[in-house]
This record gives sequence, structure tokens and C-alpha cells, in this order.
Amino acid sequence: MKKLVLFLAMLLTAMTVKAEDPAINFVDGLTDKILAEVVTAQKTQDEKERLFHDAFTEAVDLKGVGQFVLGTAWKKSSEEERNGFLNAFTDLTVKTWADRFNMYTGQQIVFQGTRNAERGQIYVDSVIQDKQPVEVIWRLRPSKESYKIVDIVVEGVSMASTYRNDYRAFLQQNGNSVQALTDELARKSREFKSENKNN
Amino acid sequence: MGKKKFVLFFCLFVLLSGCATRPTDPEELKIYEEINDPLEPMNRGIHAFNQVADKAILKPVAKGYRAAVPAFYRGWVNNFFDNLSQPVHLLNALLQGQFKDAGATLGRFVTNTTFGFFGLFDVASEMGIRNPGNDFGQTLAKWGWDGDGGPFLMLPILGPSSIRDGIGTGVDAVAHPLGWALWNEQELHYGLVGLDGVSTRERAMDLLDDLEKTSTDYYATLRTMSRQNRRKKINEVLNKQEPDEKPDYEADFSDIEWED
Repeated sequence: MKKLVLFLAMLLTAMTVKAEDPAINFVDGLTDKILAEVVTAQKTQDEKERLFHDAFTEAVDLKGVGQFVLGTAWKKSSEEERNGFLNAFTDLTVKTWADRFNMYTGQQIVFQGTRNAERGQIYVDSVIQDKQPVEVIWRLRPSKESYKIVDIVVEGVSMASTYRNDYRAFLQQNGNSVQALTDELARKSREFKSENKNN
Repeated sequence: MGKKKFVLFFCLFVLLSGCATRPTDPEELKIYEEINDPLEPMNRGIHAFNQVADKAILKPVAKGYRAAVPAFYRGWVNNFFDNLSQPVHLLNALLQGQFKDAGATLGRFVTNTTFGFFGLFDVASEMGIRNPGNDFGQTLAKWGWDGDGGPFLMLPILGPSSIRDGIGTGVDAVAHPLGWALWNEQELHYGLVGLDGVSTRERAMDLLDDLEKTSTDYYATLRTMSRQNRRKKINEVLNKQEPDEKPDYEADFSDIEWED
């Protein structure tokens, strides 16, 4: 009997530890919050975009992502150029995602576990349940209070690597000018807006 | 244009567009090898052609199809063609020794052909049967031609591929049951292949629109995304599961400075 109680106690602790994995909780809480308060909320599209913008800039390690996607161009650019790029990048990314909010039809995200990566980073494995399930891996790094997202990998495609490849090709053809890239992203954002208004 | 003329034209095109120049700087060379696209000038030419053909014909047709046919019936079309390609997937799963995939593929084909009324309804997915979709590019990888399968290749109309996966696509197309079943009905055969193409283009519309609207170099974006996704598919059949190994999708953040 004593053994059984002990076993049950151990099992319970194991279960609670699993349910309270802080990295999973971070992603779970974040996606829950964005789905409830932004994506499915009764708000205007402009309001949703603003709220998503705030959530995005808080959850994503933009400076880290910026360093990675610009590579050597980041090292050679001024503080002003970097901030200009990050603003334009955030603007366009937020617009792209916000434009697809109405496609959400209640799909659930199931978390499968975590894996450690170098320098204290963590991969959170998840699957979006749909007719054809979609594998999504969240790459986090620890921050002061909790975590920051540094990459999202969808069906094997890393967003960070994709942006890096895209921007590297653009920079190569435009004299490695971060300003030219920023202008191009800003132009894309403006076009995105006007095109959607026409629809 | 006859077949012979086309081949001649194609060879001329490759010769005239030439190859990308191999850089000498070690850092640049590393990037060049990682991108692995020595045929870039030719590939970009094909990409430009694809863009023109897409804007003039494929996309307008796919848009018309979306406007004219309700989503429910478009689902039928998609399910029907997906089901018809399962025998080829089954053959590949067996050639790869992926018996679990073969089981799922066979189960899904039998279920959807019978209960799914000749494949119009995807009952198998509702029952939780996977759709692994093994292809001949993966088979070649399993037989030893692993990695990215040679340099990047942009195929006319079909889009991003590699030397290995381009061959794979050709072999899978030849093995497709539709071509054999309609051997004496070539017009119907081509009609159905066309419908499958329109259906495929329609389903890719939102993703491709987004990519074109938001990327600064559409070609480079297609190249990296297709290759990364392909690595995942290849690794699935190679059963590479070494815990210490860096995953393929792991971007190298080793010299990134974190704040706070």
C-alpha cells in the first residue's frame, strides 16, 4: 500500500512537471491570448492589427532576428539603419499575418514536448490539427522574465533562414544597402494595404 | 514547336545563360555552396518565364475556377486526384522500405476508393489515417542520392526542384495510373491532368500571393523554402534521428548577441 501511494505521488509529480513546462506554457499562453483577444475577438481589422503588432514586438526577439537575417550587413549598419529596418520588417510581417486572421476556423495547437538547443535555447514542438496536420516548431531563448521567440519552423521551413536568404539576394543586387532594403519593405507594406482595400 | 526544336532551344538557353561565378573569398564561398545554385542565371530565366505564363494563363484560370466552383466541390476534385496518385505513393513507400507509410497509403486508398466514393470524399483523413505521399525523389535519396539531390533546378511551370527531385517528378508522372488507364484516350487524359494542375494552382494561391507580395526577391524565397521543406521530407524517409545532431532547420545563431 505504501509503495502504491508513493508510486501515485511520483506519477502525479511527473504529470504536473510535464504540464507546467515553462517553455510550453509560454507558447501556449501566447497563442491562446492572441487567438482569443485578437484573431477571434469582435474588433475592427485596424484594432486587431494594432494589438497583434504589440504582442508580436513583445514576444519576438527582434534585435536577434535582425542580426541573423541581415548577417554582415547588420554589422556594417548604423543604429538608425537597424531600427529603420526592424520597424519596416515588423510592419510588413504584422500586416501579412493580420491579413490571414479571417482564415482561422478553430484549429487547435497540440504541444508535444521540448528539446534543448545550444546556449540555453529551447525548441517547443507542436502540431496544428487540421485535415493535413501542420508541424510547427517554436525556437525560444530565455530572457529576463520569461522567453523570446527567435524562430518559427513550419513544416521544416525556418522563417529566420527564409528571410535571411531573401534579404541576402536583395542586398547583393542593391549594393548591400540596408536603407534600400528598408525602403523596399516599406513600399511592400504600402502596396499590401492599398491592394487589400481594393478587394 | 516540335520536340526536337524545343530540346535544341533548351540546350542553347543553358549555354547562353551560363553559370554563376564561383567566389574566391572563403566567407562568400561558404554562402555560395550553401545556396548550391550554380545554374542560377538559367533558373532565374525559367522563373521569369514561369511568372509570365502564370500571370497570363495559370493564375487567371485558377482564379476563375475558384470563383465558379464552390469550395465544397473543389474539395472533391482535390480528393479525387489525391486518391488517384496513391498507387504511385504506395509503390515508392515499398521501394523505400517504409512499411508504415505503405500501410497508411494502402489503407487510405482502399478506404477512399470505396467508402469515399471513388475518392471524392477523404474519409481516411477523418478516420485519422495519415497521407505520407512518398515520391520517387525520396526513393532516390533512400537509395543513396541523399542531401539536396544536386544543384537547385527551377522547372518550367512545375517550379522549384533539384536535379534528383526533377527526375523523381518525371518518374512519378510516368508511373501515374491515369496515363495507363487512359492510354487510348489521350485527350481525356490531358484534360484531367490540366484540371489537376488548375486545382493545385488554386490551392497554392494564398501562400504564393503572400510570398510574392512580401518577399524582396521572390526567386530566392521560393528556392530556400522549397529546399528546406524538401529536407524535412527526405529526412522522414531516411529515418535520421540522432539526438546529438543539429536539426536541418536550425539557423546558426551562434554569434547573435541577446539583450536582457
